[in-house]
Amino acid sequence: MTNSEQEVRDADCILITGSNTGESHPVLSYEVIRAVKKGASLVVIDPRAISMTRHATLHLRPKPGHDMHIFMAMAHVIIREGWADMDFIEARTEEFETFKQSVMETTPEVAALATGVPADKIEEAARLYALGQRQSGKSIYAEGNGTAEPRGHSTILYAMGITQRSNGTDLVHMLANLSMMAGQIGKPSTGVNPLRGQSNVQGACDLGGLPNVLPGYQKVFDEAKRKAVAEKWGVADLPAKVGLTVVEMGHGMAEGHVRAMYVMGENPLMSDPNTNLVEQEFRLLDFMISQDIFLNETGQLAHVVLPAASSLEKDGTFTNTERRVQMLYPVVPPPGQAKADWEIVAAIAQKFDEKMGRAGHVKWNFASTAEIMAEVAAVTPIYGGISHQRLAGDGLQWPCPTPEHPGTQYLHAGKFSRGLGKFFPIKVTLPYEQPDEEYPLILTTGRVLYHYHTGTMTRRSEGLDWRVPRGYVEVNPVDAAAIDLLDGGTVKIISRRGEVRTQARIGERVPPGVVFLSFHWKEAPANILTQDEKLDPIAKIPEYKANAVRLENPKMKRTKKAKA
Amino acid sequence: MIKLTIDGKTVHANPGDHVLDVALENGIDIPHLCHHKDLFPSGSCRMCLVQVEGAPRPQTSCGMTVQDGMVIDTKTGAIEAMRRDIVDLFVSDHPLNCVICDKNGSCDLQDNAYRYNIQETSFDFELSRPKYYDDNPFYVRDYQYCIMCGKCVRVCDEIVGANAIDFSGRGFTSIISTPFEVPLAESDCVFCGNCVQICPTAALLPRSKIGKGREWEMERRQTICGYCGVGCTVEYALKDGKIIYAQGTPDGAVNGEFLCVKGRFGWDFNSSPDRLTEPLIRKDLAYELGLTDEPWEMPKTSALKGKPKLGNFIPVSWEQAIDITATKLAGIVQKHGPDAVVGLTSARCTNEENYLFQKFMRAGVGTNNVDHCARL
Repeated sequence: MTNSEQEVRDADCILITGSNTGESHPVLSYEVIRAVKKGASLVVIDPRAISMTRHATLHLRPKPGHDMHIFMAMAHVIIREGWADMDFIEARTEEFETFKQSVMETTPEVAALATGVPADKIEEAARLYALGQRQSGKSIYAEGNGTAEPRGHSTILYAMGITQRSNGTDLVHMLANLSMMAGQIGKPSTGVNPLRGQSNVQGACDLGGLPNVLPGYQKVFDEAKRKAVAEKWGVADLPAKVGLTVVEMGHGMAEGHVRAMYVMGENPLMSDPNTNLVEQEFRLLDFMISQDIFLNETGQLAHVVLPAASSLEKDGTFTNTERRVQMLYPVVPPPGQAKADWEIVAAIAQKFDEKMGRAGHVKWNFASTAEIMAEVAAVTPIYGGISHQRLAGDGLQWPCPTPEHPGTQYLHAGKFSRGLGKFFPIKVTLPYEQPDEEYPLILTTGRVLYHYHTGTMTRRSEGLDWRVPRGYVEVNPVDAAAIDLLDGGTVKIISRRGEVRTQARIGERVPPGVVFLSFHWKEAPANILTQDEKLDPIAKIPEYKANAVRLENPKMKRTKKAKA
Repeated sequence: MIKLTIDGKTVHANPGDHVLDVALENGIDIPHLCHHKDLFPSGSCRMCLVQVEGAPRPQTSCGMTVQDGMVIDTKTGAIEAMRRDIVDLFVSDHPLNCVICDKNGSCDLQDNAYRYNIQETSFDFELSRPKYYDDNPFYVRDYQYCIMCGKCVRVCDEIVGANAIDFSGRGFTSIISTPFEVPLAESDCVFCGNCVQICPTAALLPRSKIGKGREWEMERRQTICGYCGVGCTVEYALKDGKIIYAQGTPDGAVNGEFLCVKGRFGWDFNSSPDRLTEPLIRKDLAYELGLTDEPWEMPKTSALKGKPKLGNFIPVSWEQAIDITATKLAGIVQKHGPDAVVGLTSARCTNEENYLFQKFMRAGVGTNNVDHCARL
């Protein structure tokens, strides 16, 4: 997030898109509710009637994969109506003209035709967002305390509905464009705010758990930075070639050049796209390690399974979605011989170096996580001022470059990290897999409130399992009627990759032509259906939010296909 | 800045602040039962009455906006007598069976009964709401202890936005209820338990806590929730080393006292009998390494089918497991080069662990083939 979570409660307008906030980030949704109860306006752009739409001033409901038209049309309206913040654009940004040209033809009417969302709703969304207009009550920014600003503060919240798309990077650029053109960034309660789905996904990215960057987002191909890290680690140099992303790793196994995999605390068999293929790929490996708290689906294919301590059983730090680094403290001891992951990794690394005949070159034996954090601070500029000692209490938000630095509540204040904020010209790209006669529906995936990711933890929780014990697919009554499907009936969902069987939950939460299945269920693994061919070209994220499928009712004697 | 005087002490406040909040922030204790700093004031319990100089009668301070030059007395004899009467009335239909009550030691009504030295009601005792609902695994509703302060209704509306419950009925028989008193599972309840958290009495209690020990016997430990990326602070109450229940704490950096259903109730996976407790080696590798005499082949059936099959593995010591792992990895690197190895680090592991893992992949194995499920 460019901004902080508690700033949301003071926003004048909140734009939520591609985030089922109420179910995937419930406690952040409380901030949204608090703002709305004080009179803020809430614009939700989402194909599904998610719980936040109950509180929305406006719900724009495009077909999955078509929202880019709406964002472009909003930009069009903002320019046409003179709502753009020209002072901000001139002082703080560059290449606005190129961007402006790219949206000139996307009028709200054009977008309405493409998405099914009425033009006047798009215009209203543009007005509420650009001007930060409230429904009622007083703005603490635009009207309060004698320092009134010409417009209220608007914030954008988004999640995987934007990024798990074959044009995800373009969409994020587009949201950034919107925030810059309206001057809704670099101030409290504004910004472009991705809501991160896992307890330490932010930290895993920050500290180099990505194939192209070293800790602190230092590019592996930036020689000076790479050599500096190498020196601190006591090696001559580090690999400069960008590594494989998670989906590419699987493809590498199929091609035969990837022979071993070390998995720490993940269940890629369930979470990667095209599960059937992933399982074949994993079975080709010469050696696989699964280090986890449970024997999950992936672990069953591993050669070595190592028992890990859970987050309730160890110390260390997590970095949350607002870049806040916070201390973990052990609550209970680990079961049996289970150990903290850092202890296991260190032991393997030490032994590996011995086997390679170069023991002692690189430091692996740390006495504590505090000592590891000291090394993190030394090689990671954005964590430079962070130490366990400083984190007691509320933690610290990065960038925190020095031991005296108080941390950063919101980014881009006064100046963008890169200097001038750059507008990206935008063009519309539709989802890779379009519905056709054979696969007429669009499948979109996500979470439900009571479960988390591949269900290894939540499905072992008595209460959560009681509430939602099994998977289901959300189907619109129109699509259900077409195959005589009843609420609660068994249904087959079929894509070009495979098929799953699950229960139907029929209702208006999904529009006609769209079905939703969450990916928590190993009995109905959503990712059997999803495609792994066309990823976002830059972020390499699979397109989980739009895959073509068809439904079949196994009870229906003759399906349309059989007739044909 | 507004300046006002409370109990002879000069305090400062912002325009729009409420007197009760300002007093509490300045260490001046005004008794209250229905107030919560994150909720809009409701003025229903009447405990926070204060006397404003020049006002004809006492007023509730929770909803009173500060004004410059206000002079306020919070503890006149008349007001204290009124407060005592209010508590007396509350306990006229709230059984004072604190000895057997699971809220004993953390009950706001008990604290006030103690404060005003009320052993039993001076009115005729009559149970107005003898209802008890145990209709879900998360929390129970015991209406005999409800004092109708409405905090649960307000948190459900103002913070959670679920609007699952409201006041229903009239007079002594009014209760807090789902529409038509349907079971919670059939209502809009999202089981976040924030109502349980802020309930001042034993009307709402976590099911896992009932009969499991007294409040003062429990040890409390705080950490950060392991589910989504919001980063809530969760406080666990433990007895004999076992988690009894979880709750938010007012000093949580991002969430204050509020949590969701997973954070508050979803911790029991941690003590699941399915937890891995010892290093394991798959039987075919064990045979290859001479750790077993029985040859074995990995079944072809999908790993997604059926229960996790521990029988496919044999336990080994940590020393063996680490040695086998390092030997295998080193062998593959020597034969196929470092890029033949890939690693998935984890969005559920700590910063320190992620750092060490990618350091191992880069400076140990010698590859940038390290990723995690940030994209998934």
